[in-house]
Amino acid sequence: LPGDVVFDLAAQAQNKVLRLGSGLSQDADRVVAIKAGRLNHAKSKLWVEGSQKRYIPSAEDSVIGIVIDRRAEEFLVDLNAPVLGLLPILSFEGATRKNIPNLKARAVVYGRVVKAHRDISPALSCLDASGKGSGYGPLKEGYLFECSTGLARSLLGTPTYPVLEALGKSLAFEIAVGVNGRVWVKSDAPATTVLVSNAIINSECLSAAQQHILVQKLLQAAK
Amino acid sequence: MAKREDDLRTPGELLGLASEFNAGRGSYCHDGKIYASLVGIRHLIEAKQGSDDLRPTIEIRREKERDAVPEAGSTVTAKITKVQARMASADIVCVGPRAVKEKFTGIVRQQDVRLTEIDKVDMHSSFRPGDIIRAEVISLGDSRAYYLSTAKNELGVVSAVSVAGATMVAVSWQEMQCPLTNQREPRKVAKVVTSNE
Repeated sequence: LPGDVVFDLAAQAQNKVLRLGSGLSQDADRVVAIKAGRLNHAKSKLWVEGSQKRYIPSAEDSVIGIVIDRRAEEFLVDLNAPVLGLLPILSFEGATRKNIPNLKARAVVYGRVVKAHRDISPALSCLDASGKGSGYGPLKEGYLFECSTGLARSLLGTPTYPVLEALGKSLAFEIAVGVNGRVWVKSDAPATTVLVSNAIINSECLSAAQQHILVQKLLQAAK
Repeated sequence: MAKREDDLRTPGELLGLASEFNAGRGSYCHDGKIYASLVGIRHLIEAKQGSDDLRPTIEIRREKERDAVPEAGSTVTAKITKVQARMASADIVCVGPRAVKEKFTGIVRQQDVRLTEIDKVDMHSSFRPGDIIRAEVISLGDSRAYYLSTAKNELGVVSAVSVAGATMVAVSWQEMQCPLTNQREPRKVAKVVTSNE
């Protein structure tokens, strides 16, 4: 919970390097949680992961944004966050000064958060770190819905989320997940899209076995 | 010494001939005569030794000191209010050593932060909201704000508070360190020149 002391630095050995991820803050000698969630520990990194409706931008997150407007050098993108993100018009694969992507308001974009800090608007990009597209960019057609940030991270995590595994066995669809709590689904038949979306939304609090049962029930009802 | 009332001049008043005097601050020359352009006390300044022009200079100086107003070329102290991708906004607090009476807004553009590599400047690594900076006024700018520049060694962040809440110490011209957590934060730091005592 916020305020819980996670680590007492004074009591530890001096020469260890500990990296603090999101949700943690250093208060003189102590490491304190500033978000509610589960404390995770991997190698020398500590971080707190919780589930929220609202997204707080953090660097290196893959997010789904909705274009609001275009300024001179960047698009203003809504990320379901307290501030709008800024997406430079040249940060797309194959974009040059003469070939600028023509994104209007309400276009859906899959992008990466390049820089995020509490004092600035998050900077986005539709290119990965090496400059290639790799799946980022505008998302055309399809259906967009919102979920909690915790569910979005489970969908993206390893091992594969049980619902996605079960659905993938019998249905053909395309899916993009943003850690800002947005999921985009596209398939040939609207019925498939609806089925996939319902399955994902309703699977949040279910165990793996329950999720498989849910998917089976939905598939049978669809026949 | 003449009484003060005799020396008090009003705009348009004839002060002397251009052949005898130089027009200094607060006066102007027209048709070979020198007139006052301000309300104030007349001062006579002797010509410098060894200069070609031997005429003394007439100056009109106001009685009261005027409020401090930023002018092009003056050094100001400002507090950063907003940092954006290509510029930072700041509230001008002092002009030189004098505090201002009303609020003035200044903008530091990306190309005016420093002298080298100006297109690669990251505004967020140069300033943060709440920093106190020393800057020079480049121009009066537009109706909204003065244009400021920190492109000199002695200009930049003078005082800043770290994320943990402590006043930071300058480590280099690019970094400041927090005394509580020992974390370094990037800033465009001003080189504070201390006088020899």
